[in-house]
Amino acid sequence: MPAAPGTIHGRYYDGKSACVREVFVVTTPGEVILRDLGDSSLVARWPIVELGILGDSEHEAVPLLVRGGDEARLAIEDAEQRRQLATAVPEIAAIGARKPEPAGRILQWGGALVAAIGLFWFGIQTGSDTLAPMVPYGLQARLGESVYRAIAGNRPQCDGQEGLAAINQFANRVAAEAGYDHPISVRVLKGGPVNAFTLPGGTMILYGDLIALTKDGDELGGVIAHEIGHAVLYHPIKGLARQYGTQQILKALTGGYSDIGTLGSGGALLAALRNGRDFEREADEEGVSLLEKLGLHADGMSRFFEELLKAEPKDAAKAAGIWSDHPPTAERVEATKRPATGAPDFTPAEWTAIKSMCR
Amino acid sequence: MQDPSGPAGPPSPPASRVEPTLIPQPTASAALAPSRPVYDGKLGELYAIYLRHLLLMLLTLGLSRFWGRTRIRRYLWNHFSILGDRFEYRGRGLELMIGFLIVVAILAVWAGVVWAIWHFGFRDRSAPGLDIIDVVFLSIGLIGVPLAFVGQYSGLRYKLSRTRWRGIRCAMDGSAWSYGALATGLTFANAMTARLLTPVVSVNLARPRIAHAHVGTQGFEFAGRAGDIYGRYVGYYFLNIGAWIVAVGIAVAAVTGSIARLGGAEFEEAFTHPGPKLFLTIAVAAFAAYLLFGVMILPLRCWWRAYLYRYLVSHTRAGTVLFATALTTRQMWGFLVLNYLIVMLTLGLGWPWVIHRTMRLIAGELWVYGEPDGAAIGQPPQRPPRFGEGLLDMFDVSSI
Repeated sequence: MPAAPGTIHGRYYDGKSACVREVFVVTTPGEVILRDLGDSSLVARWPIVELGILGDSEHEAVPLLVRGGDEARLAIEDAEQRRQLATAVPEIAAIGARKPEPAGRILQWGGALVAAIGLFWFGIQTGSDTLAPMVPYGLQARLGESVYRAIAGNRPQCDGQEGLAAINQFANRVAAEAGYDHPISVRVLKGGPVNAFTLPGGTMILYGDLIALTKDGDELGGVIAHEIGHAVLYHPIKGLARQYGTQQILKALTGGYSDIGTLGSGGALLAALRNGRDFEREADEEGVSLLEKLGLHADGMSRFFEELLKAEPKDAAKAAGIWSDHPPTAERVEATKRPATGAPDFTPAEWTAIKSMCR
Repeated sequence: MQDPSGPAGPPSPPASRVEPTLIPQPTASAALAPSRPVYDGKLGELYAIYLRHLLLMLLTLGLSRFWGRTRIRRYLWNHFSILGDRFEYRGRGLELMIGFLIVVAILAVWAGVVWAIWHFGFRDRSAPGLDIIDVVFLSIGLIGVPLAFVGQYSGLRYKLSRTRWRGIRCAMDGSAWSYGALATGLTFANAMTARLLTPVVSVNLARPRIAHAHVGTQGFEFAGRAGDIYGRYVGYYFLNIGAWIVAVGIAVAAVTGSIARLGGAEFEEAFTHPGPKLFLTIAVAAFAAYLLFGVMILPLRCWWRAYLYRYLVSHTRAGTVLFATALTTRQMWGFLVLNYLIVMLTLGLGWPWVIHRTMRLIAGELWVYGEPDGAAIGQPPQRPPRFGEGLLDMFDVSSI
């Protein structure tokens, strides 16, 4: 019995060998019957209730018809014939599904992707501002402590207790003025560089060489107030969140492709540096503002930046341009200039203790 | 007619455009009728799947990559057919994720062991500035090279085990650890001998990957020998050295000349405060470097690689089915260089295009001679691995 025109043809794989049989499909109310295309002999009888489909029309060129628990398969290459079968056997309607048009889906997914990137970027920038203070303090403190251990290593600390107490008292007073309700812990490491920074959880590191460079307590007070600005504005956690978020965007977009990932790391680094410059400007502003609110000398920060500029007239931050994580020092001198009014940041006794704490 | 001493290559494919590396078959019979695979995927369809994959990657912070990769494989496999029968990919994203998590757990145990050894044995005697984190990463870096090779093999085993053709599952036997040890040893020896062992490495690493692969009960055989390709390699090796010397000389002269003309201060200023002029200069310099590299080095490399691929393919067979390819140097350039540029210049968005081009290249240039005896091929006895390519994912760039 030859196959009639309009019948459904397929390639049948028995699941036991790699033989192929060209078959035609006959449907009855309860079964799909496969017969050999050459001699019409019976190849298989599959009860409709046991039929299944492997794959879908989006991913597979030819979704396969199978019988549950059986490794045999039927591939119907012709899409129109698959639709014929789907019409005849509604239980397997999915086999007749048309391949979705790519143009519409590209627009749909591409548009969603662009929107998601925009939202993600916006979310990273603004969400980090909102969410950073909500990160449990214990977690921030542990993170800060582990970073501190990595930085400090076996380096000796300045252990002049009176000086250390004066610095910590001042730092906590400034932070309290900003409504920061966690303790600030300042550690002073002997030697250089001339630097100070704040870690998550309110841990602050000062270097002895920075203290040595400051001419008076107000200059040191300005530096500490700047660092407190970072702490009360949660810059360390915000920086981490933004860096992580940017990396995720780049990773998702590049699909993890290694060289692109390297390019992406460069982009993420530049974004982090730009964030760093913005954070420094905010911390300068916040620090000066807190000192003014406390009625303390707020001119020290600007004078300290002038000292830095004198020590390095070339201004490394300006020279480094977009590769710098700090704004140009001259810009900071101008932005933080304040009149020398108010009470001194440290008493003469405190300042003497601080100056001798690293000896 | 087959050589009784071992597998032999098939006759040259029709319209071969390159010097044949095949062993001629004087009496090619009808049983060795040539055919080519067919790839009928569409770039637009692939892009639609890929863009959804990227979106989900972003929304799930990368967690969806196991499922995304699976969907892409399903598309590629099922749009590729040999002798009129399409491949199926039946892997699952969950398997890949579990495989990845297992490797993460193993590495965590490794890190714990290294930590314990360091903490109780060497902490007080370690070099200044060397922390436990450094030690753990260093140790993972050291085991990473052999593990990447193990991962390549086990990743191939996983992919084959989830691949079906005519309903028959593919498989791979052999030990991934043995392969990892062999690959590590050969790679190290090659590095120690200034890459003069490359033919030995290429042939001896291709052999286990090919000879342990099966379509059901039908195994593949590989008859390649390093000695066959040494002559060509030695020619390539010395030409390559000469080309590098000339290219580096030209590049150094160009860069020092530019700096001298600009002056150091202007050069520094341009770099730290970039404007349109700097970006234009970088673009021109990159193009010039590529041109130089492209003209001097890459054609030679492509020439060698195309030859190597032709050799490896033509010395592979599966029972009565033989393979050959007439892959040209220019096509290899398109595969190695152009594909790389497409991905780089599109910041990764051109990746589906690269995959599409690669599939078309394989379909266009692989010749299959003869047909398998389907009745003699059954389901493979090997049990498929339960989980997927975690090591490959961890230590290697697993493209698809």
